[in-house]
Amino acid sequence: MTTFLWRVAATAAFVAILAPIPVHAQAPIKVGASLSLTGTYAQPGSYQKEGYELCADHVNAKGGLLGRKIEFVFYDDQSMPATGVRLYEKLITEDKVDAVMGPYSSPITEAVANVSEKYQKVMVSPLAATTSIFKKGRKYIFMVISPAEAYLDGLVDMAAKRGLKTIAVINEDTLFTKASAVGVAEIAKKKGMQVVFQEAYPKGNTDFSALLTKLKAANPDVIAASTYFDDAVAITRQMKELNVNAKMYGVTVGGDLPKFYELLKQNAEYVYGATQWEGNLPYPGQKEFVDSYQKKFGHEPVYHSAAGYAGCVIYGEAVKRAGTLDSDKVRDQLLKLETRTFFGDYKVDGDGFQVAHKMVMFQWQDGKKVTVWPDDLANGKPRYPTPGWSQR
Amino acid sequence: MVGQVVISGLLAGALYAMVALGLGLIFGVMRVLNVAHGPLLMLGAYTTFWLFHWFGLNPYLSLLVSMPALFVVGVVLQRLLVRRVVDAPELSSLLLLFGVGIALVNVTQLAFTSDLRSVEYLTGSFVWGPFAFSKSRVIACAFAIVITAGAFWFLQKTRLGKALRAVSQSREVAQVCGVNVQRIHMLAFGFASALAAAGGSLVAVMVAIQPEMGQVYTFKSFLVIVLGGAGNYPGALVGGLLLGLVEQLSSLFLTTQVNEAVAYVLLVLVLLVRPTGLFKGRAS
Repeated sequence: MTTFLWRVAATAAFVAILAPIPVHAQAPIKVGASLSLTGTYAQPGSYQKEGYELCADHVNAKGGLLGRKIEFVFYDDQSMPATGVRLYEKLITEDKVDAVMGPYSSPITEAVANVSEKYQKVMVSPLAATTSIFKKGRKYIFMVISPAEAYLDGLVDMAAKRGLKTIAVINEDTLFTKASAVGVAEIAKKKGMQVVFQEAYPKGNTDFSALLTKLKAANPDVIAASTYFDDAVAITRQMKELNVNAKMYGVTVGGDLPKFYELLKQNAEYVYGATQWEGNLPYPGQKEFVDSYQKKFGHEPVYHSAAGYAGCVIYGEAVKRAGTLDSDKVRDQLLKLETRTFFGDYKVDGDGFQVAHKMVMFQWQDGKKVTVWPDDLANGKPRYPTPGWSQR
Repeated sequence: MVGQVVISGLLAGALYAMVALGLGLIFGVMRVLNVAHGPLLMLGAYTTFWLFHWFGLNPYLSLLVSMPALFVVGVVLQRLLVRRVVDAPELSSLLLLFGVGIALVNVTQLAFTSDLRSVEYLTGSFVWGPFAFSKSRVIACAFAIVITAGAFWFLQKTRLGKALRAVSQSREVAQVCGVNVQRIHMLAFGFASALAAAGGSLVAVMVAIQPEMGQVYTFKSFLVIVLGGAGNYPGALVGGLLLGLVEQLSSLFLTTQVNEAVAYVLLVLVLLVRPTGLFKGRAS
C-alpha cells in the first residue's frame, strides 16, 4: 500500500514538472485559405500565396501569435468561384481551421464571403477590390486594397492636367474589370473629359481587331483598358498591329507583372499601369519585406505578394490587440485599427471597406516601372506624349 | 472602318480554313470528329516557341520542324488509339479523342506550366492608306494560302491524294480497287495533324501561347467544316473565310461580346436549312 502511495506521489510530482512544457508547445493556429494556383488567375494567385507564407515565417520567428505558431492550410481553387466555396466549407467544417484569409480575385471572394459569413469567421480579403462585395451588409469581411473604381484615377488625373479631352474605355466583362471601367468613366466625366467609346469583351477573348478598329475610329486621346493579364498583353500587341495610337494608354491589372514586359519587350514601353504597391515606395519596413521575399523565393515581390503579406499582418495585429481569436472581438479591433505598414495605409469604414490605402500609377520606361503618380510618391516623370508605334 | 474589319476577317479566315481542312480530312476519311485537333495545334505552337527560345530559329522556318513532328505524332495516335474506334459508334471516338485532348493539355501544363509565352518576332503592321495590315497576320495568311493550295494540289493530282479522296467517298469501293485503307487512315491523321501544327506555328507569332490555347480552334474548325459542307474540301476554304468575316463584322456592327454567339447561330441555321453545308458536302 505504501509503495502504491509513493508511486502516486512520484507520478504526481513528475506530471507537475512536465506540465509547463505542453503550455509552451500549444497547438499552432491553423489559418485556412484557398488560392488560384492554376487557371486564369494562377499568376497573381501564386504571388498572394507566397505573401501569406512569408508572413507566417516572420510572425513565427517573432514568437508567433498569442504565443502560438501560425500554420497555413492551402488549397487550389483552379480560378473557379464554385470550387472556392467548396474549399472554404471544407476548411471551416472538416479541417476546423482557427481562422481564414481571403482568396484571390473579386469573383471568388464574392462567392466565398457567403461561407465565411455563414460560419461567422472574420476574413481579411487582401485581393478583392470590388466595392459591392463590401457593401452588402456583410459583417466579417475586411478590405485591404483600394477599390476597383479607383484603379485608373491616376491616368485620368494626369490626362486632365495635360488638357486631354477624350477617352476610350474597354473592359473584360467580369466583376472587377466592369467596376473599374465604370469608375474610370465616371471620374473622367467629372474631370470634364468626354467618353467617346466604351465597350466590354467576354472573358477569354483573344481577337480584339474589330473592337480596336472601332476604338481607332473614335480617335481618343486616352485609352483606358480595364484588364486582367492575358487580355492586357493581347490588346497591347493588337494595338500595334492595327496601328492604334493615343497620347496615353493605361491598363488596370497585369501591366504591373514583370511577365508583361517579358512578353511584350519594347512594345510595353510608355504603357501606364495601375498598382496597389511598388517595392520602391517610401513606406516604413519596405526594404526588409522586399529583401526577405527575394531571399525566400528567389524573385521580386509584386503587389499581389505584398497585399497578401499585409493582409496577414493586419489580421495578426487585430488578434494581438483583441488578445483572442474570437471573431467578434477581432472584428471590433479591425474596425478600429488605423495603421501604416510597408504596404501603405489601412483604415476601414463600418462596412470593412478600405478608405485609406492609395493607388499609384507607373509607366514602363526602359524596361523599368517608374512611379509617376501621385506626385508625393512619384520617383520619376511620365514620358508624355506616347509616340506613334513606328517611332518606338 | 468596314474595310479594315474585312481585312482582319479575311486574314483570320485563311488561317481558320487551313486548320479546319485538317479536321475535315479526318472526318471525311474516317468519319471521326477529332476533338483533339486544337491541342495538336497547341503542340505546334509550343514547338515553334521552344525552337525560337532555345535556338533563335525563325518561327516561319520552324514550320519545317513542327509539321513533320506533328505528322509523326498524328500517325502514332492513329496507330495506337484511333484505329481501334474507327468503326465503333461515334460516341467511342468522341470520348477517346476528348480524353486524348485533355491528356495533351494537362501534360503540357505539367511540363511547361500554364505561364503565357510569346514569340516576339514580328510585331506591328504595314500601313497602307487608312488600312493597317498586321505583319504577322499577313504572313500567316500567305503561308496558310500556300499550304492549303498545296494540300488541294496533293488531293487532286497525286495518286495518294486520289486514294485519300476515294476512301472518303466510299471506303469499300476503294478497298476493292486495291487501296490500302489502313494506311490511308494513318496518313490522313498524320496530314491533318501537320496542318494543325502549321496553324499552331503561325498563331504562335500572333498571340500568347499557353496549354489551353488550342480548344477554341477545335470549335472554330468544326464550325468551318459544317458551314463548308463536311467532306467537301474546297468548301472548308470558303467556310473559313466566311467565319472570319462573320466574327469580325458582328463585332463591328454589334459588340465583341456576341461575335461567337453569332457564329453559332449561323451554325444552327445552316444545320436547319442546309444540313449538307452551304456547298453541298458528301451526302450521307
